[in-house]
Amino acid sequence: MTQTMKAADVVIIGVGMVGSIIAKELAAAGYSVVGLERGEPRFTVPDFQGPGVHDELRFDIRKALMQDNTREAVTFRNVSSQTALPIRRWESFLPGTGLGGSQVHWNGQTYRFQEQDFVLASHVRERYGKDFLDPELRIQDWGVTYAELEPHYDRFEYLLGTGGKAGNLKGKIQPGGDPFESPRSREYPTRPMKEHYSGAMFRKAAGSLGYHPFPQPSSNLSEPYTNPEGLKLNTCVFCGFCERFACEHYAKAVPQTFILPVLLKNPNFELRTGCQVQRINLDSSKTKATGVTYIDTAGREFEQPASLVITSSFALNNVRMLLLSGVGKPYDPATGQGVVGRNYAYQTMSTVASFFDKDVIINPFMASGASGTLINDFAGENFDHSKLGFIGGSFIGAVNTNGRPINYHPVPPGTPAWGKGWKKAVADHYNHTVMFSVHGSSMAQQQNYLDLDPTYKDAWGQPLLRMTFEFPKNDLKMADYVTAKGVEIGKAMGAKQVVGAPAKGPYTVTKYQTTHNTGGTVMGADPSTSVVNKYLQAWDVPNVFVVGASNFPQNATWNPTDTVGALTYWAVDALKKYMKQPGKLVSA
Amino acid sequence: MSDITRRNFVKVLGTAAFLPGAATPALALAATESVTPATTNDVPVYRFFNAEEVAFMEAACERLIPADEYGPSATQAWVTNYFDKQLGGAWGAGERLYRSGPWQQGTPTQGYQLPFTPAELFRAAIRAINAEFTAQGKRFATLDGDAQDAYLKTLQAGGKELGDVPSGVFFELLLKMTMEGYFADPIYGGNKDMLAWKMIGFPGAYANYYEAIDAHGVAFVREPMSIGSDGHGHTHVDPNIPASL
Amino acid sequence: MSARDAVRLLAAAVLAALPCSAFAAAAIIGDAAAGATLAAACQACHGAQGEGLPTAGFPRLAGQSAVYLDKQLADYVSGSRANAVMAPLAKTLDAKKRADLAAHFASLSPPAAAGAAPADAQVLARGRLLARQGDEAKQLQACANCHGPDGRGESFAAPYLAGQSASYLTAAIGEWKSGARKNDGGRLMAEVAGRLDDADIAAVAAYFQSVGPLP
Repeated sequence: MTQTMKAADVVIIGVGMVGSIIAKELAAAGYSVVGLERGEPRFTVPDFQGPGVHDELRFDIRKALMQDNTREAVTFRNVSSQTALPIRRWESFLPGTGLGGSQVHWNGQTYRFQEQDFVLASHVRERYGKDFLDPELRIQDWGVTYAELEPHYDRFEYLLGTGGKAGNLKGKIQPGGDPFESPRSREYPTRPMKEHYSGAMFRKAAGSLGYHPFPQPSSNLSEPYTNPEGLKLNTCVFCGFCERFACEHYAKAVPQTFILPVLLKNPNFELRTGCQVQRINLDSSKTKATGVTYIDTAGREFEQPASLVITSSFALNNVRMLLLSGVGKPYDPATGQGVVGRNYAYQTMSTVASFFDKDVIINPFMASGASGTLINDFAGENFDHSKLGFIGGSFIGAVNTNGRPINYHPVPPGTPAWGKGWKKAVADHYNHTVMFSVHGSSMAQQQNYLDLDPTYKDAWGQPLLRMTFEFPKNDLKMADYVTAKGVEIGKAMGAKQVVGAPAKGPYTVTKYQTTHNTGGTVMGADPSTSVVNKYLQAWDVPNVFVVGASNFPQNATWNPTDTVGALTYWAVDALKKYMKQPGKLVSA
Repeated sequence: MSDITRRNFVKVLGTAAFLPGAATPALALAATESVTPATTNDVPVYRFFNAEEVAFMEAACERLIPADEYGPSATQAWVTNYFDKQLGGAWGAGERLYRSGPWQQGTPTQGYQLPFTPAELFRAAIRAINAEFTAQGKRFATLDGDAQDAYLKTLQAGGKELGDVPSGVFFELLLKMTMEGYFADPIYGGNKDMLAWKMIGFPGAYANYYEAIDAHGVAFVREPMSIGSDGHGHTHVDPNIPASL
Repeated sequence: MSARDAVRLLAAAVLAALPCSAFAAAAIIGDAAAGATLAAACQACHGAQGEGLPTAGFPRLAGQSAVYLDKQLADYVSGSRANAVMAPLAKTLDAKKRADLAAHFASLSPPAAAGAAPADAQVLARGRLLARQGDEAKQLQACANCHGPDGRGESFAAPYLAGQSASYLTAAIGEWKSGARKNDGGRLMAEVAGRLDDADIAAVAAYFQSVGPLP
């Protein structure tokens, strides 16, 4: 028996980073907002406190903060000719859950995309000609420009207290920053993090090769900071338990530290946790949402009526929500028609390992999630691709985030996997190795997409999301090229042995390579190739907005979070306009 | 200026004596350092494994991480005890594992696709291994080291089933959990006395490096600290046992 | 010399190679025996065995991290820690003497000094909660995160609090709060102290005093 709740102006699916910010803004603007979070409430005290939080087995290996596959997994196959099977345990990507969402356990790496990224299709055509691009790729322009998003990047970074050194202030290149970045209107809100020894070595070596090293922008704070919401964040102490872990020090910028205390005080906002949204409900015309249906932790079904529905859950779950609800036409890779689920992309990850003699002491366990030193010389469109036969690029950096020994005990190639030789190699190399991250773009292609699985279901009886993905050849070429550049930097650091490991196909879900899943509810100017318009409003159902990395038409070189944050504040402005005057914000 | 250079310092620290045959490790951190024994029992108390399973596990893990001068062996680190507590607990019973069928083998890129929980997998595989040896009038635990290694390598190579469990899948999980048991926080029953952490110099669960991170290239030497460490330097292996205050 | 001291001295040796850091002050390995001779001048305030004088708020120094003690003396000299009594005294010591004194006090382990006022159970319970868990409403993390289990200290990060007198701890937190003291890296203590009200300061101070000196 479904119970109908009192109607709200706005219902928000997923109270993570995006949901928290949107909820706060709309509640502050006077609207009644219901936030439905499927996971548990949790706060820095008591839930994130040490020493218990510094438990590699529990949080890193067993993934205690992540979505529980027992109840809700994803099925996967490389190509459509295969049968997708459930990802029975997470490894490749680790969707979060719970109040605050995945950001609770992010690494804090906070990069903007560049101007060219938002108009990638046009840019590539102009720069290299219309025949340059691999015909399998499906890159698109976003429908929004960097210039439009710049004030929202700024606002988001000041909300978090991101630390860094600007490389381009209003068009003027600044020493010490990234000279390739697109113009920012002002400096970062806090200074760069302290540099790890591996970063210092990288900086010297990369500089000696003529590259442009700069400090990694970090939302693990470098100094105490009071944000525009009046909330205080503390200094990160480099504990080395960042990604996959929650922060005990109030130093990592997560919704609990930068916005939730303010949101939760507003009586216009009601948080309901343990609520698994089943679908967005549509009226008989299928062009208007009436609200959502959800099931609580006791298995009871509720309907939450609302004038506006926002899906701000994890990227993959946004896509699934639209598919389960019938919002937008599902994508069919065979015909190329349809939009929901198209342009799924990921991140192309490679590494370089530099092995040193035992007198070079690295101390990898001293780390924050974002205290690296990087170069963008081979990122995005910062270099000439005309003779290279691919588009996209990677940043290269000494991004030491941890020395947690279950997962991190590097050994040179040829070391046996176990036994006496293995053990000696671990003892010899644990504290004398530097790992580079070669973090690369991920292009969309026709055959990579998301849809609903025909066979496997979640604990509520609904089809799981099905993921069909293989690395585009373009991206593997890119990875080979940039990894080789990384190896040169490792050699310039004076390492005894340098080993590059570029991303290789086939893509496997058994190996971790970021949780940067993008696409599926792509934004754009053309409804035949996008699900939402430039304001993130669903073309087909104007009172549904979709906000998250699912909006990206393809994934750029860098981590998605800063861009998702910018899109969030961009959407907030549009939502406020919408609420004053509901209707289509873009006529198609 | 101090006489003690970094090189001298490392020598002063000394290396732990993890020589084969040592029943308990004789750890020598520094001339005056003493290590208070942390646990209340001298040998693990197994609750999941029966005696024959223990015999196989202890012998097998000891080949994966043998005794030598670098650090503890799997036995010295109580790795089998770690297995025992994990397999006997929620994770062993299938926590966080999507367990619905239908079941298909899939491609290697699709990962684990078997119905077994970790506990079931180990029970089935070890039962088959022990039966195989019994049928030949032998025991894995009493083979010499080379023969044990050779057998483990055949398991690792795959192509053989251990009571419906592909041997490669079993071996992969055995190796993975051996690493966990070796390097995890000692509250989980392995990494006894944090000896594996001492081997590599990992300081453990209390981790404020704000000052120390500036000392580029300098060895960081501190007693490792466990989640279960109390104010007296004792490690409480069962987190339900309160510290002294 | 106790086991902890051996580790501390060895740790100080490690830091001797520091190029530049807040711990550059610990560039010299102290000689505890030489420090013992110098320490005669400290006894009037800090007790015969470095146990402190709780009734006057003079801190226990015994068993404290040598690296930490050395740094405090250096900070009194440079002015990044201010104290009308300690500053002139510290200035009479050169770097070697500071290191020797630090090594000496680090090696001591007397029982707690007499004269510390006891606290009631409710105050102690509050202090224990803050020490081990924190307080979300005040955005306060647990002291244990940096100060170790039961406040036993964390090498190179934070001094022990266990067994320190409540009178000294109260004054110290007050100095962090007012900004009179700002010689920690990252302004960690200023932020924590700023969120503690007087009742909470009294509670954590009483709790750590009640823990008593740890080995």
